[in-house]
Amino acid sequence: MITSIAHATIYVLNQDEALDFYKNKLGFEVGDDMKVEGGFRWLTVYPKSKSQLQLVLAEPKEGPMFTKDSAEKIRSLIEEGAFGAGVFETENCQKTYEELVAKGVEFIQPPTEQLYGVEAMGIDNSGNWFSLVQR
Amino acid sequence: MATNSKFERLNASRDYIADNYQATLSLSGIAKCSYMSPYHFLRVFKDTYGETPNEFLIRLRVEKAKKMLITENLSVSEICAKVGYISLGSFSSLFLKQVGMAPTLYRRKLWALSTEEYRFPSQAIPACYAHHFLGKLAN
Repeated sequence: MITSIAHATIYVLNQDEALDFYKNKLGFEVGDDMKVEGGFRWLTVYPKSKSQLQLVLAEPKEGPMFTKDSAEKIRSLIEEGAFGAGVFETENCQKTYEELVAKGVEFIQPPTEQLYGVEAMGIDNSGNWFSLVQR
Repeated sequence: MATNSKFERLNASRDYIADNYQATLSLSGIAKCSYMSPYHFLRVFKDTYGETPNEFLIRLRVEKAKKMLITENLSVSEICAKVGYISLGSFSSLFLKQVGMAPTLYRRKLWALSTEEYRFPSQAIPACYAHHFLGKLAN
């Protein structure tokens, strides 16, 4: 039986800039920031909560799984906003939205009543969309 | 889950622990950052984050120590002091409890696996990522 999700990947354009965004704007904590052999940087962040899920902030680079062309295509798609980072939950969508806007986080939809709660939609500094939901 | 304002106050204490993990911290001092009594703070912190402030502090210190053991050429005693422990014995037993092996063995094992000096081996990260980004499959 699978009991939880430990890691999920968000492709970002620059790990340093993404770390600054997730840590200093969204208020996440750094899980791992390790220099791994082969020049790979294992970088994870997670919200300050009981959540066990860590987000892996990874850059699409030429390597075993991506050709140079594929990596460039993925980078273009990120910049175009073709990928979504997922849903982040909050106790108060309006308040969190205002705090994040004050920190310079870009939103494409302000808090709006939905069937499942109040939701705003933002974009990280790479171009990934995310929902901010109050259930 | 704490309300938004209570959560912010708790986060202030959590950040205080994270910023001062090398120092000797007291529960009452940490609770003050949240404007709560130590007992109330302890209960709400655990409810909110799923771990006590002390468990959070130990986890942070051990994570920092793991990183230093691999990426820096410091002795275990130096690392012990850098992450806030006075007693090498206490540090070693906490490390053993959290990681499953003593600090020296952890360093020796991971250094032996890595092909590069002061870098974690690919085996230190989930295999699907090692395969995806480094083209390495576990033996």
